[in-house]
Amino acid sequence: MQSNHSGWRIDRRAALTAALALIAAAPALAQEGLGTAAAPVEVRMIANEAFARQWQTAMVPEFNKKFPHVKVTIDGVPYNELLAKSLLDVTGASPLYDVIIADDPWTPQLAQTGSLLDLKKDAAAWTDKDFDWDDFNAAPLAASSWNGVQYGVPLRSNMLLMFYNRTLYQKAGVPEPTPKLTWDEYMAQAPKLVQDTKGGGKPDAWAIGTYFMRDVLTPTIWQTILNSNGGQLLDKDMKPAFVTPDGIKALQTHIDLVKFAPPGAASHGFNESLQAFRQGQVATMFMWGSVFKGTAVDAATTTLKPEQVGIQVMPAGSKGPGAHRGIWSGVVSKKSKNPRAAFALLQWLSSKEGEKWHANTLGVFPARKSTLAAKPESDWLVPVYAALQQAYEAAQAGQMWRPRHPKSDAVQQALADETARAISGQATAEAALKAAAARIERVLR
Amino acid sequence: MSTQARSDERPTLGHRLRIAGGLFACAVFLFPVAWMVVTSFKMPRDIFTTPPKLFFTPTVDTYIQYFGHAEVMKRMANTVIVAFGSGLVSIVAGAMAGYALARLPIRGAPTIGVIILLSRGVPPIALAVPMFLVARKLGLTDQHITLILAYCTFLIPYVMWLMRGFFLSLPPELEESALLDGCSRFGAFFRIILPISMPGLVSTLIFCVILAWEELLFALVLTNRNATTIPVAIAGIAGDTVNGANWGALTAVGTLTVAPVVVFALAVQKWLIKGIADGAIKG
Amino acid sequence: MASVQTRRGGARGAALRDLAGRWAFMAPAAALLGLTLAYPIFYTIQISFSELNLGTFQPDGFVGWDNYRTVIEDDRFWQALRVTAIYLVAALPLQIVLGFSIAWLINAEWQGRGVVRALFIIPMVVAPVVAGGVWRMILDPLWGLANHLIGLFGLGPVDWLGDPTLAMATVVIIDTWRWTPFVVLIATAAILALPKEVFEAADVDGANWWYKLRWIALPLLMPMIAATFVVRWLGAVKMFDIALAATGGGPGHATAVINLFIYDEAFRSLRFAESSAMAIIVLALTMILTGLFLLGARRLERRY
Repeated sequence: MQSNHSGWRIDRRAALTAALALIAAAPALAQEGLGTAAAPVEVRMIANEAFARQWQTAMVPEFNKKFPHVKVTIDGVPYNELLAKSLLDVTGASPLYDVIIADDPWTPQLAQTGSLLDLKKDAAAWTDKDFDWDDFNAAPLAASSWNGVQYGVPLRSNMLLMFYNRTLYQKAGVPEPTPKLTWDEYMAQAPKLVQDTKGGGKPDAWAIGTYFMRDVLTPTIWQTILNSNGGQLLDKDMKPAFVTPDGIKALQTHIDLVKFAPPGAASHGFNESLQAFRQGQVATMFMWGSVFKGTAVDAATTTLKPEQVGIQVMPAGSKGPGAHRGIWSGVVSKKSKNPRAAFALLQWLSSKEGEKWHANTLGVFPARKSTLAAKPESDWLVPVYAALQQAYEAAQAGQMWRPRHPKSDAVQQALADETARAISGQATAEAALKAAAARIERVLR
Repeated sequence: MSTQARSDERPTLGHRLRIAGGLFACAVFLFPVAWMVVTSFKMPRDIFTTPPKLFFTPTVDTYIQYFGHAEVMKRMANTVIVAFGSGLVSIVAGAMAGYALARLPIRGAPTIGVIILLSRGVPPIALAVPMFLVARKLGLTDQHITLILAYCTFLIPYVMWLMRGFFLSLPPELEESALLDGCSRFGAFFRIILPISMPGLVSTLIFCVILAWEELLFALVLTNRNATTIPVAIAGIAGDTVNGANWGALTAVGTLTVAPVVVFALAVQKWLIKGIADGAIKG
Repeated sequence: MASVQTRRGGARGAALRDLAGRWAFMAPAAALLGLTLAYPIFYTIQISFSELNLGTFQPDGFVGWDNYRTVIEDDRFWQALRVTAIYLVAALPLQIVLGFSIAWLINAEWQGRGVVRALFIIPMVVAPVVAGGVWRMILDPLWGLANHLIGLFGLGPVDWLGDPTLAMATVVIIDTWRWTPFVVLIATAAILALPKEVFEAADVDGANWWYKLRWIALPLLMPMIAATFVVRWLGAVKMFDIALAATGGGPGHATAVINLFIYDEAFRSLRFAESSAMAIIVLALTMILTGLFLLGARRLERRY
């Protein structure tokens, strides 16, 4: 085992040396590593199955217009197993994948294995002069950095936002939300949003649809409430800091939301709350922005029209509005045989030009300030861009993201377990948070 | 003894009730399947309605979209190769081991048999990662043979144990007379015992093919592209974290995956009866 | 013993050949399993006593019983064992009894029985994710058909998945729906293989149905009932896909069976060392219980 360990060290050193040699030689051979018609290079990518096919069929041909000799193959893996599979691959002696598409909390977990390229150092020589790092919003860019090293670029940005159904708000006589809306105000409005719209004698529309079931994303709801009141899950020393009156109140608010949610909502998560909103059965939904098109625009999947659906940041706490970050970033494996081509792909897709194409053609959300400030080709994207820009700023100000730690997923799992107990009434908010804190301390020890 | 003659003997009320009971049980168990099939013809917006929609404009879009998809068809082919490959290997190796346990007194064999059975006690999740590490070391990731071998590890113990049960219930005189007639052990096993055990063999094979057909965890870990199976595709559709799970697509692909296995089960049905008839003649 | 010696001369050689012939039956299975399982099981045991280096996926320092201690001190582990026990006690007997009864029903002779038998396997074939989802669709209080039907009688809505006790019942129902067909499949073959002459003789003697069931069918079926039970038990211990698809282990911890917990720890929390320790504990428990079942089965086989 020891020999394996040092073997990996040697590999790393070898890779570094190779990278440095490449950097030294780079100016002379500008196109080195990007392939030629006779000898194309191959880049393999591991990505979420949810968008792997879309990228393979639409994004890769567009990339090949600029880099015709880089053959890109994208393998999709279902979300639940993507991190474990990426880790297994990237830590191997000769990994299959050059590019890994990592979800928001995964960069520290992948980076701690020492197998990712430091983009600002190792890839500096390959970076175009007009690739503007500072144009990225700080929050999405930070998703792929850890301990001051930038390992990736944001490729598919997503934020937890507040969706609302204007028709149901009007019927209930409740003013439409604004970014100023606070949690206290929202909770006061919620009972009015449970209404009988068809005159059947009992409620047929409810106030809220969001994550309540046992799921790792469920805690992000109360975490956002905590963040918008200035609280954090972990303190600077990575110790749990959420067993506070603010933390308990945040979880209690999340629990109280169930009262204004449709029957059975305690077992609802991503898919169920989404369906309820798309059927016009709930007035508000705290949900990832990426679902907007399928919720407001696409007639095959939703009963709602674009003008019926509003979108904005989540309600505000004492420190301002809430949001929660969910960015897919692209990172490069250090042992990649074609790191330059791999980086070329990431660079193109996250460049001003590539991101604009990506957003306009595939409807993927951008991370750059310039893209968000420009007018999108589709009208439905206009309110979404406004909400996104606000959400990025809110997330940056309140550090609204999952813990940045190599054991981030274990922390999240502990939170999910205890949140589920509290929501199902098996524990009080306080007891659940205490149990979660004890477990997280053990995990991070 | 033909089956027809027997049913003529007693067309009693009890017999009719038994048929009705069987049909009722079948209907109850197939109801969720029917709901799946109905859902596969709905547009996504028609699936989660209150009250549930029984009348809707049917669409075959999802089928066209997925059936015409080369990747889905390739994965289906992979699934067939892997399921039948591992099913056949396991049924041969497992039936032989089961026979040894049931009929051949050898020192140590029962212990090995029990160890083989107990190997099923290891949670598969624990095995997936080391199996991947081994496969990678041997350069065997993403190949059909790897999945077939992996599936054999969990199918063989089942086959062995089930077939042992079937062999135990056979009259021992069968192979004794065969052996006295000068048959070798293998001859007796393959020519006398296996044909007469056809119902058990076919049922066990169906079971094996189904288990391998729907296996997800090993397929996820051990394959990337060339040997990926349908359950991986299904898991991908269900875990769509971008747009929400597309239940039209899920139920459509779900329906598509069920069909070949049902056809296979129907095709091998006659062997269930045939074995009995053969056995009756020879016994 | 059934060993048969054809000639007296060269009895030693024949005996050896006979022994080799017998082992040849056992060898393929033993060799296949030995080759494929030896290292993975060794690795799992090794990791369970070590810290796992996520940079190499190799053990990184022996830590003794630390991982086991962590697991044993974790109340969720015990909770998961308890949940698994409840699920097994509820689901297994139900599936065996239901399976053999239905097999008897659908074995009634008529033209359609082949089709019925083939259709009956479908619940097993539906991918767990789809099965869990379709059941969720049917049971959801908001848009589910089940509650809509109950509602027509003025009852409900029942929160099948949100109430801890009901959620466990729901998981048992879905699992029973899924796996009873397996029991039916095996039981059909077992019932078909019953020697008809014995029953006909009993008919001639004027035996009633209970006598035939209790004293003829049951003893003859016992080896297969025992084998089916053992196979189903080993499958059920590992169940987590249905719980994952239907409830995600919730509400709270109500349906978080042990294998779901191991899966979460390994694939979600990336705590492979702890999950290996858990796997080994589960393996030990399964071995003990399986051993007990086998003893019981042998007793039953001897008794009849």
